[in-house]
Amino acid sequence: MKFIERLTTIDRRIIYLVLAIVVLIPLISRSPERVRVMPPVEKLYNAVDTIPKDKVLIIDFGYAPQDMPELEPMGFALLRHAFEKRIKVLALCLYVQPLGLAQKALTEVTEEFNSVAQTNADSIIYGRDYVFLGWQPPPLIPMLGMGISITNVYPGDYYGNKTDTLPLMKYVKNYNDVALLVSLSAGSIPRSWVAYAQNRFGVAVAAGVTAVSAADFYQYYQTGQFTGLMTGMKGAAEYEELVETRLNIKKSRKASEALPSLTYGHLVMIAFIIIGNIGYFVQRKRRQK
Amino acid sequence: MKRTFPLFLVFIFGILGIIPFIIPHPIVQNLDESIRNDILKILVAFALVLGLGSLLKVHMDKIKRKRENWQYSWILIISFLVSSIIGLFGGVAGAGPLPTSIGSFHFDIQTLYENIFMPLGATMFALLAFYMASASYRAFRARSFEATLLLITAFIIMIGIIPLGDKISPHLPSFAQWIMTVPNVAGQRGILLGVALGIIATSLKIILGIERSWLGGGE
Repeated sequence: MKFIERLTTIDRRIIYLVLAIVVLIPLISRSPERVRVMPPVEKLYNAVDTIPKDKVLIIDFGYAPQDMPELEPMGFALLRHAFEKRIKVLALCLYVQPLGLAQKALTEVTEEFNSVAQTNADSIIYGRDYVFLGWQPPPLIPMLGMGISITNVYPGDYYGNKTDTLPLMKYVKNYNDVALLVSLSAGSIPRSWVAYAQNRFGVAVAAGVTAVSAADFYQYYQTGQFTGLMTGMKGAAEYEELVETRLNIKKSRKASEALPSLTYGHLVMIAFIIIGNIGYFVQRKRRQK
Repeated sequence: MKRTFPLFLVFIFGILGIIPFIIPHPIVQNLDESIRNDILKILVAFALVLGLGSLLKVHMDKIKRKRENWQYSWILIISFLVSSIIGLFGGVAGAGPLPTSIGSFHFDIQTLYENIFMPLGATMFALLAFYMASASYRAFRARSFEATLLLITAFIIMIGIIPLGDKISPHLPSFAQWIMTVPNVAGQRGILLGVALGIIATSLKIILGIERSWLGGGE
């Protein structure tokens, strides 16, 4: 009787402690988990991979520090893929919070490539290979405005340079020069990109979203409005897997390294839910008797 | 006049917001672009200044009247002023007129962001995992058929989206994917269509001046 009662009244501190242990231990060992790539991520990878030389990829960095574990690895993997294939990138933020994270991702991935570059052509150069447009509020202005003119919406980039003086922006005028727009967001912004940028200007949109918000976005993937979709840490790990296996880029894989923590975290939560339910059913049966 | 003029403005700009989606003529498109790029940008700049001014006013007032937890308002004001000064005059990566390093110690806006804002934001959200584990243990009970169905679905998704799911059976991740792309989409789409129709109806009511609660009740 006492044991069954205890099953339904486990102290919350014990739950916290068990969860903390199972999440922390795999993070210390840091061994990347291999994953099977699912179709939504593969489609996104293929869409990025087939961007023509005269078109650009736009990445909307829409994640704040609280979404970093899931969305930052997506940003890194996308940038590595684009830079490796010499695809030109425009980075932007629709909110002020992600600016620092976008800057971090761009700086770190650029540094990865430039540290092994032998020549100017091998290097990733700001203004030639990518441009960080920064932040222009409210989101509606860039979403609609870039359909007419990107430099009109962003007269200056994040670093204060005039965008129309940057070599990349000489040929990137509006959405007609954009092959794909990937929105990495924990909110509803990918939906707005479809509603405004895609419906009105026909730009291809894909998204990277958190696992908790994934259920809201599958309908856009199913209809083809999203070219591809990455969901949560597993989606990020799948993209990392593709970047490593197909492009042979062996760099830190933050999502794949964190997957064991996620696995054990999920298992612990399932175990506690089952324990709670066993206790509940036994108590209910006794009450009925 | 106090009520008529805002109603008139909402009607005009509401209609101007709809028309460019229907009429692709260059005159309409150019007008739309000018409204967004010129007028809206200025309005947003005013709103930002007003918002920041209001934030400071509220916290100054809290300190002045020594309301509950007034000490924290000092943290907000000091953090606001320090980051504003460094952000405005220190440049993005310490390239502005204000020096943002002493020897090897850097305090440019990016360094502050990476070393203060990022850990704080991540910590706040990381706590959620613990609350979720505790709450799901206490509240997630198979009390009815619907609750049991929800519980089973949750387990399939939770195992299907981790690598272990693939090791148990290669069909499990595909089944989890199917749940997300078929039954989930069916429900979500219904909700979405309902919400969209509701938004259209409410927007039309506001544009046509039928719904006026946004005007406020004061004189």
